[in-house]
Amino acid sequence: MPNHDLSPDRDGVTFFSTLSAAVTHDMKNFLAIINENAGLLGDLAVRARNGKFPIDPQKAALISEKIRKQVNRADEMIKQFNRFSHSMDRSQEVVDMEEMVHLVAGLAERIIRHHEVFLTVTSAPVPCRIQGHRFDLLHLIFRAVEITCEILDNAPEDTQKQVAVSFGSDPLLPEICFMIDTDTAAGWDTLFDTSKNRALLDRVNMYVKKAGRGCGFCLCKTRETQ
Amino acid sequence: MSEKVLLVDDEKDFLDIMSERMQARGMTVKTADSADKALAMLENESFDAIVMDFKMPGMDGIQALKNIKTQKPELQIILLTGYATVEKTVEAMKIGATDLLEKPADLEALAAKIKQAKADKMLLVEKQTEEKIKDILQRFGG
Repeated sequence: MPNHDLSPDRDGVTFFSTLSAAVTHDMKNFLAIINENAGLLGDLAVRARNGKFPIDPQKAALISEKIRKQVNRADEMIKQFNRFSHSMDRSQEVVDMEEMVHLVAGLAERIIRHHEVFLTVTSAPVPCRIQGHRFDLLHLIFRAVEITCEILDNAPEDTQKQVAVSFGSDPLLPEICFMIDTDTAAGWDTLFDTSKNRALLDRVNMYVKKAGRGCGFCLCKTRETQ
Repeated sequence: MSEKVLLVDDEKDFLDIMSERMQARGMTVKTADSADKALAMLENESFDAIVMDFKMPGMDGIQALKNIKTQKPELQIILLTGYATVEKTVEAMKIGATDLLEKPADLEALAAKIKQAKADKMLLVEKQTEEKIKDILQRFGG
């Protein structure tokens, strides 16, 4: 359903530009590898021209495979970026949160990697669907990932830099949990206590609570607004 | 004599192909997939130039540049980046980067910069040696 009523606020624009910058940076890296492989093929052709060093078919096949691998990576990234860009066109709808988590994980891969964090997503036991604006929900997930990465940046050295994302088992009370290997002094339910984060949570009628077991927090749908 | 280069990038595929092409041009190439590993390698080995990605996981490019320049001030560092903003370029140059190239880079242009970097390094080392000799002669009444 097209969106006629919402344009992102400044925080939303910042989120969009952060992901755009990360994606375009990744694209440049894919192009750089394709460029070097094309260059290597050129080098081999130059050496083969005088007949002394014929092109090894296995080597050529390997280079071709490496180019194809980068093209596939770039293609996947562009598809994800296209889905992300179109999230702004859409109005309120029922959104599959597992799909949104995978989309954020793919698009923010570079950002997550820069924190040296490894993110895993466990399949939802029941569909995790939330009524809301797709763009805002993606924004909220990204913010949760950012917050966990920041906690891990400041964690003791022996902490495993891993974020495990999982989903609740009650389809009527959807929740997305972000679990890590360390505690935080700030208190799990106060992590989103900034005006920007509170506004974001309000827009999607969600709240944050400490995870039932272990270290982490869950994004939960407010019961009365479902 | 060939140029000895340390190539630093977190993309393994990029490291493999670049080092192969650079070696085919007569350079001696060692690789590291992080700034931390590059710094560790610099403790035991000397290079004419470092070609380093500006944005890698862990230590960021500016910090890596500062650390390398502290450890080996004569070392020439050529940065490779997806996007070179004016601010980042100026900041990198102020800290002591020799040059900054945008990805995808032209290998012939990079090879020329590496050759120049080696010549600059040799001049710098010569100058440092001369100053050391002057200093010793002055101290011992030369």
